[in-house]
Amino acid sequence: MASFAHIRSLTRHETILAMVVVFALVALSAQSDRFFTVANLLNQGRLMTEVGLVAVAMTFVIASGGIDLSVGSIMGLTAILIGVFWHNFGISLPVAAALAVGVGTLGGFVNGLIIARCGVPPLIATLGTLALYRGLAEGISQARSVGGYPDWFYLLGQGQINGLPTQLLVLFIFAITATIILSCTVWGRTVYAVGSNEIAARFSGLSVERSKLAIYTASGFAAAIAGVIFVSRVSTTRSDMGTGLELDAITAVVLGGTSIFGGKGTIVGTILGLILIQSLKNGLSLAGVRGDGTIVVIGAVLIVTILLSNIFSRDGFPEH
Amino acid sequence: MTATTDDTQAAPLPGKGNAFIRYAYRSYGQELTILCAILIMFVSVGLYSPRFLSFDNLNSIFAGNAYIAVAAIGMSMLIITGQIDVSVGALIGVLATISGTLAVSGYPVWLAWLMPVVIGMAINAVVGILVAYGRIPSIIATLGMLSVLKGGLVSVTGGAWISNLPPDFLLAQRVMLGVPFPILAMIVLTVFASVWLKYSALGRSLYAIGGNREAALAAGIRIQRRIVMVFTIHGAFAGLATILFATQLQVIQSTVPPNLELTIITAAVIGGVSVLGGTGTVIGSTLAAILFATIGSALIFTNVSAYWLRAVIGLLILITVLADMMRRRKVWG
Amino acid sequence: MLIKVLPTFLSLSLLTGVSYAAPAWTGADDQPTNPLACDASPADVASKPYDGGAAVDAPNRKGKTLKAVDIPKLVGIGYFTATSKGIAEAAKEMGTMDVKTDGPTKANIDDQITLIDNYTTSGVDGILYAANDPVAIAPILKKALAAGINVVGYDANSSPDSRQWFVNQAEFNGVAKSLIDTLSKEIGEDGAFAIVTSTFTTPNQARWIAEMSAYQAKCHPKMKWLETVEAQEDNILSFNQAKTLINKYGPDLKGIVGMTSVATPAAADAITQSGKCGSISVVGLATPNAMKPYFASGCVKSAILWNPVDLGYAAAYVLRATADGDLKPGSKSVKAGKLGELKVINGSEILLGAPFVFNKENASSFDF
Repeated sequence: MASFAHIRSLTRHETILAMVVVFALVALSAQSDRFFTVANLLNQGRLMTEVGLVAVAMTFVIASGGIDLSVGSIMGLTAILIGVFWHNFGISLPVAAALAVGVGTLGGFVNGLIIARCGVPPLIATLGTLALYRGLAEGISQARSVGGYPDWFYLLGQGQINGLPTQLLVLFIFAITATIILSCTVWGRTVYAVGSNEIAARFSGLSVERSKLAIYTASGFAAAIAGVIFVSRVSTTRSDMGTGLELDAITAVVLGGTSIFGGKGTIVGTILGLILIQSLKNGLSLAGVRGDGTIVVIGAVLIVTILLSNIFSRDGFPEH
Repeated sequence: MTATTDDTQAAPLPGKGNAFIRYAYRSYGQELTILCAILIMFVSVGLYSPRFLSFDNLNSIFAGNAYIAVAAIGMSMLIITGQIDVSVGALIGVLATISGTLAVSGYPVWLAWLMPVVIGMAINAVVGILVAYGRIPSIIATLGMLSVLKGGLVSVTGGAWISNLPPDFLLAQRVMLGVPFPILAMIVLTVFASVWLKYSALGRSLYAIGGNREAALAAGIRIQRRIVMVFTIHGAFAGLATILFATQLQVIQSTVPPNLELTIITAAVIGGVSVLGGTGTVIGSTLAAILFATIGSALIFTNVSAYWLRAVIGLLILITVLADMMRRRKVWG
Repeated sequence: MLIKVLPTFLSLSLLTGVSYAAPAWTGADDQPTNPLACDASPADVASKPYDGGAAVDAPNRKGKTLKAVDIPKLVGIGYFTATSKGIAEAAKEMGTMDVKTDGPTKANIDDQITLIDNYTTSGVDGILYAANDPVAIAPILKKALAAGINVVGYDANSSPDSRQWFVNQAEFNGVAKSLIDTLSKEIGEDGAFAIVTSTFTTPNQARWIAEMSAYQAKCHPKMKWLETVEAQEDNILSFNQAKTLINKYGPDLKGIVGMTSVATPAAADAITQSGKCGSISVVGLATPNAMKPYFASGCVKSAILWNPVDLGYAAAYVLRATADGDLKPGSKSVKAGKLGELKVINGSEILLGAPFVFNKENASSFDF
């Protein structure tokens, strides 16, 4: 049956990826004795949280056959708004942060409206909002930074709880929730249905439109939360925050086995993809490879992993 | 896609009774819309500041941004076929560095002009093979390529300036037949590409692949070969754009131009390519590149704070696309 | 018809912004300025107590080989290639420093922070940096200090308590004075000029512009500041922006100031191609290699920059002296190899010297 082949190819990609990750971890540990230490690994968790949050939500987006290029800009807009609400409008910081997250989520909702209601292809719609939201961040901030937050605010981005970086817990909760929603709920299955065949999903009585709205809103929400964490981590706001984040997130999701054409993908795969990229960045750096060499390696790994996965996967359309 | 029947019934076809206008509107609605926007910009900014319409300024608007239009031609073909390339900015940076290095190393200038085209085609043929035969989605293959090209360029050159370019090399500064070379190149390439797309069997097959893959397959189109072909052609246009880009100034900086790929993709998209797949013309993308250049220049002439520039461009993308969606619904119901 | 009207409407609404547009924005930041005196009299330097940070429990590194890393704003641009060349030169000369340069491929705060974090983990003895953002980079530098790593900045500072010393290439007000004085000499006391900068968020550029504006108002009040335009670090965009300025102001425009080493040569090319050599002057910050063709054609008389190779060289010596304990809170100066004694200013900064003026005669003796 088709669905069996489907599930088999899923596991296959993740197995390959897990092996690649293990191989990378072993190889990188051999290069530097400072790589495989608890402190370093936890610290890497801290650094990958923002991309991680966005990538988890992006898994839904891509599995539904869409894409969201505006996440980096939503992150920048949220960051700027926290500063503006708190500093310029004198709103108390928790409320300011909540409001900013609200606006970021609204940004995602608007993406959803344009895509689901107006039928604009996601790539194009979010290309437009990529420019729009970044432009709003630049216009609102007038290139001014806001810093000097109260100490408690830094707990989120720089502090720890029971030895774990605070934001890693956030990512953990986020990923678990997302896994449950995607694999165990009707709503999650709808995402796959929309991604593999939108018309069939519509005729099956699934609410395609509402599901898309929810997916893009969630993506905006995740990007907004990532924005708050980022401000807390670096203790200032800038309108160029999060530039290029969308490409990192998409790389992680696709490396994790989510098909860019929609219909398949798992959170576990995305998390593995994230771990692979982050350990390559960190491990290669510790092993003495320079940053520009590292991005060459990441680009090559991306192409080779997908190529290998395609060669080994047995469900054999010559093309998608 | 849903509940638009009211619109269809209520809106009569524009220019009803005049077959030519109706034909033009149906086939080139997006292009006409952009053309109107450009003309209105010219008139209104020209009224505000007459120097906007001076020969020099028109020359900088058209010639200074011709390379974007040329690169957008190749990108349009790619998008029409249902592919995308996010590495084109990095590719142009690499090719410009190669071209400049050849020129200052004493190779004949024709070779310095030819090599970017050849190497661009070779690199993108590899990407095309990865996409068509390796079954890697183009956004992923080119995302990977972006990292490889960018990291590679930084490793090799360290961003050094190339400054002793021979005067013969500076093709983009020449004037031919009374027209600055970049404008001439932009017009010739746009016309050539649009005729090829519209009237040749190969060109038509790109629309078929982008519009309905299964139907194209059933019609006997060899999709994989066509995809490699369109990537290679896109590489050639990236190479041609590089020539205009690299020969514009007396110095070349060996870096990746920031956000160039986004500008090129946006020009192709605003130009009407791909909004519903399998449609679009390169005339539209060239007009869109000109529209961007016009807006950029108009912002300076009208003292609009550049802080809001990006927001304006974003709105423009959204409104153009939404307008296009509405237009299609009205015309085709 | 709505569909045709929409983009049109947008274009129009863009233009209506004109009617109530504020006077052209200058691109300055909002921090207080401190313009120098109009003549050459030196500024009276108020001595300030040391306000830098300290490396916690740093081991005694005197005389031992230092393992150091240099993390510029970004790699792959000529300017930072030159600074890393200077650092490598100094390291070779001292023989007791093992240094490499590694930076993000775009001027991105997140990538730079990640790199510094990685090198802190890998256990280097010293970090040299040029900050993309003074505040954002501070927490991670403090972490490096807490790990006993010696931290020295150059080119772009961070908040003082997040590093031990900062090598200041030239004070902001000194650069501003130098640029405006040169410009006024070339275009006259009542000339009008415009500025091409990178982006409004780049701290150094915003600071220079603020100081230029203050100094111009104080010492050359009749000069007319037309406007500032943004051009990223993109040479074709800089060229197009400069040409648009030339077209917009016509004969009113007498000078263009390039605030980045990318904008200045591009502006020079714009006046060359517009045939305005001699009638419009270009001054600005630039590296000599990029300016050679324009010096040669006589289109540009001079460009201003400190020598970035010297800046890197000095930074490496300052790091060595800090690690050795020779440069400590309260020191008045530091020895920096061939550069001689460098002065300590502003509490915890080392001044490289006055900005350097490149011209046709001396440009050929530099290669960066």
